[in-house]
Amino acid sequence: MKLSREFVRGGDTVAVVVESIEGDRYRVRVGDQTYEYDARALADGGVRVQRLGSEEQGTVAYGAGSTKSYMLRIDGKTHELAAPESRRGGGSGGGADGVVRAPMTGTVLEVLCSPGDQVEADQTLVVVSAMKMEHKLSAGVAGKVLSVAVAADATVDQGAELIVVGPADAKGL
Amino acid sequence: MSDQPLFQRVLVANRGEIAVRVMRGLRELGIESVAVHSDADARCAHVLAADHVVALGGNTAAESYLDIDKILAAARSSGAQAIHPGYGFLSENSDFVRAVIEAGLVFIGPNAEAMDRLGGKKAAREEAIAAGVPVIPGTEQDLGDDKLVEVAKEIGMPVMVKASAGGGGRGMRRVEREEDLAEALAAGRREAKESFGDDRMIVERAVFPARHIEIQFIADKHGNVASLHERECSVQRRHQKVLEEAPSAVVGAELRKRMGDAAIALAKKVGYDNAGTCEFLLDDNGDFYFLEVNTRLQVEHPVTELVTGVDLVHLQLQVAAGGNLEELLGGHDLEPRGHAIEARICAESPEQGYIPAAGLLGLVKEAHGPGIRVDSGVYTGWEVPPFYDSMLAKLIVWAPDRATACERLSLALRDTAYLGIPTNVDFLRRVVDDESFRTAAISTDMLANRPELAAGSEVEPDDHVLAAAVLCQALARQSGGGNSATPVAAAGGSTAVWTDLSGFRLFEVTR
Repeated sequence: MKLSREFVRGGDTVAVVVESIEGDRYRVRVGDQTYEYDARALADGGVRVQRLGSEEQGTVAYGAGSTKSYMLRIDGKTHELAAPESRRGGGSGGGADGVVRAPMTGTVLEVLCSPGDQVEADQTLVVVSAMKMEHKLSAGVAGKVLSVAVAADATVDQGAELIVVGPADAKGL
Repeated sequence: MSDQPLFQRVLVANRGEIAVRVMRGLRELGIESVAVHSDADARCAHVLAADHVVALGGNTAAESYLDIDKILAAARSSGAQAIHPGYGFLSENSDFVRAVIEAGLVFIGPNAEAMDRLGGKKAAREEAIAAGVPVIPGTEQDLGDDKLVEVAKEIGMPVMVKASAGGGGRGMRRVEREEDLAEALAAGRREAKESFGDDRMIVERAVFPARHIEIQFIADKHGNVASLHERECSVQRRHQKVLEEAPSAVVGAELRKRMGDAAIALAKKVGYDNAGTCEFLLDDNGDFYFLEVNTRLQVEHPVTELVTGVDLVHLQLQVAAGGNLEELLGGHDLEPRGHAIEARICAESPEQGYIPAAGLLGLVKEAHGPGIRVDSGVYTGWEVPPFYDSMLAKLIVWAPDRATACERLSLALRDTAYLGIPTNVDFLRRVVDDESFRTAAISTDMLANRPELAAGSEVEPDDHVLAAAVLCQALARQSGGGNSATPVAAAGGSTAVWTDLSGFRLFEVTR
């Protein structure tokens, strides 16, 4: 058995390759380092991992995929491990790309800008109500509102593009 | 108690963890449970826990759990004799209570008249004053935006603007600057309109630094009211409670008695029956001010159960069936014993402005061990719908003393995993491990003053973490779906987003 994955760490892509040796023993290559592990699946969905040749006790890791990444809980901490090219839409409102997206499925309460407006990076452009909370969304970048795709009272899906902000000198609408 | 159950069948007009918890109580008393559910909740934990199930249809709360006609029809068709409302939804709606009674059913909660007298902020405040309970200076009704701003300036900033019909922090804001009053009122009205269908607002002095102390009480239909003492819920964010504990580290026997007596006086004044909670703010001088009465079972009721040894759901059912507290609690020592703390586990991301999340829980691992109780409404493979509150479960610990309870909660959080969507588990642990929480130096603005607790710190995964991640995936694949750690196994492949990610390159899988 051999399984390969790639993750983004500190801006670099790190390849991780797991190969079974025999029984519960695995060779794991992380970047240019190679380790040996004893790993056993537990009935509660966890996997007990122990690095061989290490003084440390084994620990139980729990993992599951999310929409954006692989979530691993180990040693009392949750890591969201991002795959390369996985940074797609659907995140939290204003990304640095100037596209304001709905953080969750919800209802638009107010649209506070119009196409052509000059806006600040942290300026509230639209207010969305989701899960009984109000979310004030900004673009994350200063510039000019290129398009407004929604109006008040509209129901929007998670990740839907609501507003696009482009460079202040952007032409055309 | 006789062998005859209090009721034969009770409908639980709620969802998730509280519905599961109420159904447990029903089963313990030999009562059959009826679950109701929206379309999105067809396989929610409470549906799986019930003896009988009625589909309400719809997805939003308004289409399902808030629809009085649908709930009553479900009660009729299922042959339920009583309705337990849980918290939220219809639990504090006196029209619902009246409709339940009119339908010839028993409502497991207070009578409609008492609910009305304590329901609105203004009404409750007047009742509190009449019962001799101290209140916070402010307006008693919505005087219109202009007048509210004027009064706010007279009282002096900061002030609270609150929904007149509010509760649970909805439509409530603290305003620091006079120039922000108008916007806060407008936003408060919107939230209030959406949450309660009533956009009236009031203004009052912001008492701070303050601790949130509340008294749990229980009343029967014979005029008896008992205090089950205080809970402290000072760790809050925007009036949403985060950690709750009993007893409070700063409430001694004398203050406990005074606050309990105040709550009892108010409950008696309005002819209350069943469980209720009287909320107070406690300032640095040891003065307490009435906030509101929650006329229902509360989210944080387990901490009271753990330190007093009573079962509040049992008591609710018993007094609703006409039981007498003199018998039910007679000979029972209600003095708080040991210390209990509850952490609300929510699908939200404190690290990113507390944005709530919905989606598939690919793996749920709840803590267990001595003194640990988990009231949960989710399971591995459950897809959290986007339509309701973001709370997934409550982790509650009991220990002989507060320091041990803190340590126990921290370790239980360490052993807790709700994976697939963001949760506040790591945030909760940061707060529990913080010096200020450990020393009980807490106040209602602690989280607002300490944004670093929400932000956390980004830690780059080391080699061991990455190795463990791929080992988890490798072993999940190897076990051929028996391991539910992958979305494929958990949800029949319907939401296997992780495996669809283009960034993953599966070079080879051979055995």
